[in-house]
Amino acid sequence: MAQPLIQLKNISVNFKNKERDVLAVDNVNLDIQRGDIFGIVGYSGAGKSTLVRVINLLQRPTGGEVLINGEDICQYDAPKLRQTRKKIGMIFQHFNLMMSRTIAQNVAYALKGSPLSKQEKQDKVNELLDLVGLADKKDTYPRQLSGGQKQRVAIARSLANDPDILISDEATSALDPKTTESILNLLQELNKKLNLTVVLITHQMEAVKQISNKVAVMEQGKVIERGSVLDIFATPKTSLTQSFIDTTTRLDATLKGLAQQDNLKHLKPGEQLVQLSYSGDTTDEPIIVSLYQKFGVSANILYGNVEILQGTPIGSLIVILSGDAIKVSESLEFLTQSGVRIKKLNLADFGGDN
Amino acid sequence: MDFLKQYIPNVFDNWHGDYGFEGAISQTLYMTIISAIIAGVIGLAVGLILVITEDGAIAENKTIYNITDKIVNVLRSIPFIILLALIGPLTKIIVGTTIGPQGALVPLVIGTFPFYARQVQNALVQVDKGVIEAAQSMGESNFGIVCSVYLKEGLPDLIRASTLTIISLVNLTAMAGAVGAGGLGSLALDIGYKRFQNDVTIVATLMVLLFVFVVQFIGDYITKKVSH
Ligand SMILES: Nc1ncnc2c1ncn2[C@@H]1O[C@H](COP(=O)(O)OP(=O)(O)OP(=O)(O)O)[C@@H](O)[C@H]1O
Ligand SMILES: [Mg+2]
Repeated sequence: MAQPLIQLKNISVNFKNKERDVLAVDNVNLDIQRGDIFGIVGYSGAGKSTLVRVINLLQRPTGGEVLINGEDICQYDAPKLRQTRKKIGMIFQHFNLMMSRTIAQNVAYALKGSPLSKQEKQDKVNELLDLVGLADKKDTYPRQLSGGQKQRVAIARSLANDPDILISDEATSALDPKTTESILNLLQELNKKLNLTVVLITHQMEAVKQISNKVAVMEQGKVIERGSVLDIFATPKTSLTQSFIDTTTRLDATLKGLAQQDNLKHLKPGEQLVQLSYSGDTTDEPIIVSLYQKFGVSANILYGNVEILQGTPIGSLIVILSGDAIKVSESLEFLTQSGVRIKKLNLADFGGDN
Repeated sequence: MDFLKQYIPNVFDNWHGDYGFEGAISQTLYMTIISAIIAGVIGLAVGLILVITEDGAIAENKTIYNITDKIVNVLRSIPFIILLALIGPLTKIIVGTTIGPQGALVPLVIGTFPFYARQVQNALVQVDKGVIEAAQSMGESNFGIVCSVYLKEGLPDLIRASTLTIISLVNLTAMAGAVGAGGLGSLALDIGYKRFQNDVTIVATLMVLLFVFVVQFIGDYITKKVSH
């Protein structure tokens, strides 16, 4: 594999104060390749912000190395570090625009030390504002903009020095769903158009699902699970990851609803309630049909959902399998061999028996 | 004119010359403006030191913060009238005299800059930490952050603080009149109070008030101009 653009090696951040020590980041190793949209999810306090602030050394790690393009930037002197930071854009939950400057001045601020001529700077600012669709707001002040517009200005500003990396720390958390979607689309577009590597911190798994290709899940300062978005969504290994994924589907609500249904509370002998998850090619096979044809097992579909992640379909079905008990277990065997993940469900777990 | 003369005769008698209203007004202006400039520069610097060395700020430094903080507190807690007497010798060394408007400059500066430093600190700690972090992420230096973020983003509050400080400085110049600093304060005390010429006291007071109003008006106007 190519040299990762960002490599975090054994990174720890320990906040010491009088009352207590907080190990906000606990020995994290992370490789981010050029062109990735790398999602980092975790609940509040998991250490996401602290971890990404290490990437541009806004937070110095108490242990470990930060390699950008293979160079340990912790060894840089102050001017060199400032130069490096210009190549790492950053956007924030609360936009962090300067209220005393116009939109154009906010973007131009990022070009303060650049060798460009005055005219070139002006052109660059216009070009960036065009890119984020705010050319007409040039001379207004941030106070007059909506949240989504402010974030667009912040994005334009973060791109002023043609960075290789864009760090987005909860950049959509203060926005409504529709605006969130448009900002995420913009990030994805920038990723494709400028080959920009994006580090996307969020507690909204939906955002990761929408644009990331890789994801890491954090809990208590540690990365507890990582991989391609496809793998993580198809085969989550920890319950935390599962619960993040569940927030992006209606599955939980569906199961709760099903648990209220009388006929499902008391399944007949030979009936088995299962959740089938499958991804990629498996989806194309008419599995339900083959269950009947091969085993005489019928599948009553209660819920179905297919999503396209990174161009690959990921499906989820909740079905009641019924037929001869031996045939049912044979059919489950067959499904497993075909690459379908099976989870036997007990509705009592979802509040059915109260 | 004759009508006015009838009610405030002593004001007219005491109008001209260094020891009259003419002199007093220019002395008050002199003391206020010169000490505002000097105390302004020192206070701004000290205020900035407090802001940037505070815990979690861009140049965090507990030792410098604590020392500066203590000095400001101590200086602020000395009553001005005592300060006048206390630093007489120092004044003599710096400006060569302890009387007249010049002699008042040193105590006025020392009495004002800690107050202004605290005002500056209060104004600038309100500058959004996120904006400072954003500037850092853009590769801005600490010096750049002070100039382009703190002073620029905090400007409206800074001007409000300056207005307040100048007004309190006007009050101090009047008090300095008690030790022969000259100005409207001296006039009110030496002529109005000691010679029972109440009209002089009243007119001197009105002039101080007018002065305060003008400062407040200009301050508010500029604050409004620089707020977006
Ligand atoms: N400057 C600091 N000093 C002391 N403790 C800190 C500091 N910054 C963060 N922490 C602690 O480190 C832990 C991780 O914080 P961090 O902000 O990285 O979490 P997060 O995952 O970004 O959370 P959120 O989703 O709320 O932004 C928390 O327990 C927090 O209290
Ligand atoms: Mg955070």
